[in-house]
Amino acid sequence: MIELKEVTFSYDNKKIISDLTLSIKKGEKIGIMGESGCGKSTLLRLMAGLYRADQGTVTVDGESEPEKISGKVSVVMQSPMLLPLSIYDNITMGHEYSSEQVEKVVKMARLSSWVDTLPEGIQTYLGDRADELSGGQAQRIAIARAMCKDSEVLLLDEPASALDSENSRSVLDAIMEYATDKTVVHVTHQLKHLDGYDRIYVLKDGVLQ
Amino acid sequence: MRILKILIRRTKLYVTGAVVTSMLSNISQMVYMLYVGELVNRIEERTGIDKTLIIILGCFLITNAVTVYLKHYFGRYAAEKMAHTLRMGYIGNLLKYKKKTDTGAVMSQVQNELSHADEYLSNTFFDITDLLLTGVLVFFFLIFQNVVLTLVIFIPTVLILLYVKWSSRRLSGIVLKALDAKEKMNRVSYSLVHAFPAVKVYNGDEMCIDTYEKSLNSWGEQEADMERLNALYNSLSGILSRVPLLLLLTVGGYMVLKGNIMLGTLIVFLNMQNTLKQTIMNLPSWISGFKVFVTNLDKIQNIEV
Repeated sequence: MIELKEVTFSYDNKKIISDLTLSIKKGEKIGIMGESGCGKSTLLRLMAGLYRADQGTVTVDGESEPEKISGKVSVVMQSPMLLPLSIYDNITMGHEYSSEQVEKVVKMARLSSWVDTLPEGIQTYLGDRADELSGGQAQRIAIARAMCKDSEVLLLDEPASALDSENSRSVLDAIMEYATDKTVVHVTHQLKHLDGYDRIYVLKDGVLQ
Repeated sequence: MRILKILIRRTKLYVTGAVVTSMLSNISQMVYMLYVGELVNRIEERTGIDKTLIIILGCFLITNAVTVYLKHYFGRYAAEKMAHTLRMGYIGNLLKYKKKTDTGAVMSQVQNELSHADEYLSNTFFDITDLLLTGVLVFFFLIFQNVVLTLVIFIPTVLILLYVKWSSRRLSGIVLKALDAKEKMNRVSYSLVHAFPAVKVYNGDEMCIDTYEKSLNSWGEQEADMERLNALYNSLSGILSRVPLLLLLTVGGYMVLKGNIMLGTLIVFLNMQNTLKQTIMNLPSWISGFKVFVTNLDKIQNIEV
């Protein structure tokens, strides 16, 4: 499903990923740990097609062109990356989905109880309310967005690191419930977030151990 | 206000000098205008101009020039003296309490207020006092000359002032809307940069471009509305500002033709109307500037050391 072959990536003349090879099968759950700044997020962005490798190849579901890889994956970042639009638009990102599907992901992301209390519900404009959102609410919108795209590959870049323990558990449970049959790569510095994963790697000096 | 009273008390000699010379320069200007009116009347009546009238005119012209010089001298000196007294009084107070207080922190609390009050005293306080005094004296002088003609200037000017207030309130509403639209547009563009990875992965380019264009259009419409109203109100107030002069010419001219007033009186009004008009029109901004100044002084006064 995901193949990294002898991948090298440098930033500002500093080698971040060095000759890295990794193969992930469909449905596998992989955890990648490491200290801050070791290149975990860079590795994930290479898998998401957001960066192009200097050397080697990154293949996701048969695609090796970064632009095409982006279309094959869903990503949840540490920051929810919300746009000044309605909750609905932030989830669908302007694509046509049936109302049942949107309703389903809102429920799966555990957003319904909050969204139902809003006067305009899912059509509530976030532009002026973005600051009022809690970290948990914002991250759940980002998760609902990933669920709506429903890619085979789900890439998680510390999605719960900015949340308190109660919220982070709830967010991670929602993700795992949804991703039972998905290929998941979860980058984090907290081992407890990788409970039940198939393989856990440590990234050090640009090399997986 | 307590600080202002203290400042005036401590510089009373210069303040009194500035006020007295300001009054003297205004009075000399008015008397000079009266004699100019008299000169015009004599020319109109063909009664002849004697040497005494020319000498009196020259004397008042010289008196006016001297009093204007003294007014500026006393005004500037008093302003600097008051600003200096304010600064030194404040520093002296801080030094008195330096052992039990963090002077740096206290100083930074009112740094802006102190510099604003200082600047207002140095640059604005005596100029406005002088202009206000001039306006009041001119008003009573004109009333004394002719009530009808004074009201012909006064009433339309007050109405124009009310119109300007109303239109600027309407304009400020539109300006706020335009600023709001601009802020929204900037927020959208900032968010697009910040959320670019999400936009790329979720293929949200079209929606983002659409959102940005909508916010850009909304801002453009608000800006166009603002400029249109601005042009409309400003051109209207430009035309209206000529109304008092036009009315004065019409009513005054009619009164001269009817023989109710002399031509010299109308000349006096034509020369002095602008001073009265400017005083009335500028009064609200002077009051608000003075209020800010007093608020700054109150903050300095109430600072806890």
